[in-house]
Amino acid sequence: MSFDYFEMIIMPMLEGAKITLLLFAIVILLSIPIGFVLTLAVRSRIKPLSWLVQGFIYVMRGTPLLLQLLFICFGLPLIPVIGEYLVLDRFVAACVGFVLNYSAYFAEIFRGGLLAIDNGQYEAAKVLGFNRWQTMTKIIIPQMIRVSLPTVSNESITLVKDTSLLYAVAVPELLHFAQTAVNRDATIVPYFVAGFIYLMITLALTWVLKRIERKYRFE
Amino acid sequence: MSIIKVENLQKSYGKLDVLKQISFQVERKEVVAIIGPSGSGKSTLLRSIANLETIDDGNIAIDGEYLVKNGQYAKQKDIQKILSKMGMVFQHFHLFPHLTVKDNLELAPKLVKKEGASVVERRRRELLEKVGLADRADAYPAKLSGGQKQRVAIARALMMNPDILMFDEPTSALDPELTGEVLNVMKDLAEEQMTMVVVTHEMGFAREVADRIIFMDKGEIVESGSPEEIFENPKTERTKTFLMRVQK
Ligand SMILES: Nc1ncnc2c1ncn2[C@@H]1O[C@H](COP(=O)(O)OP(=O)(O)O)[C@@H](O)[C@H]1O
Ligand SMILES: [Mg+2]
Repeated sequence: MSFDYFEMIIMPMLEGAKITLLLFAIVILLSIPIGFVLTLAVRSRIKPLSWLVQGFIYVMRGTPLLLQLLFICFGLPLIPVIGEYLVLDRFVAACVGFVLNYSAYFAEIFRGGLLAIDNGQYEAAKVLGFNRWQTMTKIIIPQMIRVSLPTVSNESITLVKDTSLLYAVAVPELLHFAQTAVNRDATIVPYFVAGFIYLMITLALTWVLKRIERKYRFE
Repeated sequence: MSIIKVENLQKSYGKLDVLKQISFQVERKEVVAIIGPSGSGKSTLLRSIANLETIDDGNIAIDGEYLVKNGQYAKQKDIQKILSKMGMVFQHFHLFPHLTVKDNLELAPKLVKKEGASVVERRRRELLEKVGLADRADAYPAKLSGGQKQRVAIARALMMNPDILMFDEPTSALDPELTGEVLNVMKDLAEEQMTMVVVTHEMGFAREVADRIIFMDKGEIVESGSPEEIFENPKTERTKTFLMRVQK
């Protein structure tokens, strides 16, 4: 096994890793805020809105992400009449699927985080004269973040690995290039290289998350 | 004019009448202790005055302004103004765990009253000094003892310069050896003529510090009077029974 071979396969795989990271970044940046908005919608006093969002979350968590991705990439265009307008770029379609799915998970995590906050916090804020917006942004959300962070961290690590589902909808990411090399060269080395790259990504992510968690420990 | 005036306050949870036609007043600079068995409605009364509970009927007026009149609440804007005259200290402190002691004290004056940073900081230093915690300004609540937490909670309430400070069993969640430090802070406040309403099981404190004692049982004010009257000469059988039980 020569060094040249490594060099040959590693470049496309790093290109693939870029797609992996891009998807990861897009999904994290969009689904955390969307998830929080969904949580607020579930807690909303407007009952139909709450039910609708609860239904959405239930479906997103109760069906496989792979099914959702296939549906958005290959299912939507088959819908009569409107289908032809729903042919999205594969990567965009995958992003939509991931963001919808992960928003639902984050919404559940944040809902639990809010439930963990003692009612006394709202009362103390009220007695001190904070309005609802101030109470939410200055008192409740920072505590919700602390409670939710470990679960959010786990979920982000899972997301890194879930990006490999792009393989199934033929978006050329890290795993795709690994498999191409395996097929072409009849060697298992690309699998190891891919595994190593995933490990490096999760390692770096774990490090960042640990630092954020430390900042939110409040001690 | 009384600073707190409650008339015919009525409150129930479903079928349970928690407060039955309660009437009483608190004068400026007065320290009133509310005592009574658990479940008699003491917390609900205090929480109703602080607008943490909604009452069904009656009046609550603070410094002459009605928070509720005949069961009708004032407009939100007026409520805000009325409530700003009151501070409340809870049994379980309810400090903000994600903020340091310093920020626990400074957040409300800055955010709610829009006071300048330097004014707020000066007052914060004074008050932490007063409750004996000047050296813990940068600590998070998790690092404090129960007694220290409660002293921070008192200082936090004082930061808003309330006319009235209400306490709901401020020492009940503390280990016995930590109650003294909190009671001493409260004694100092009483000496400085702070108006206080204190729900408490500390009979020694009530007797020594309060100007007036209110004894509640089963949602009613059974008896009220000076500490001498209540402790030496209770008029009703219910008061006697209660005092016998707690003073054993
Ligand atoms: N949120 C609530 N829902 C129903 N019942 C309540 C609620 N809060 C208090 N109660 C009842 O009201 C009564 C008075 O309670 P409380 O004011 O806490 O009494 P105290 O402070 O004197 O111990 C009790 O019987 C209690 O069970
Ligand atoms: Mg109580």
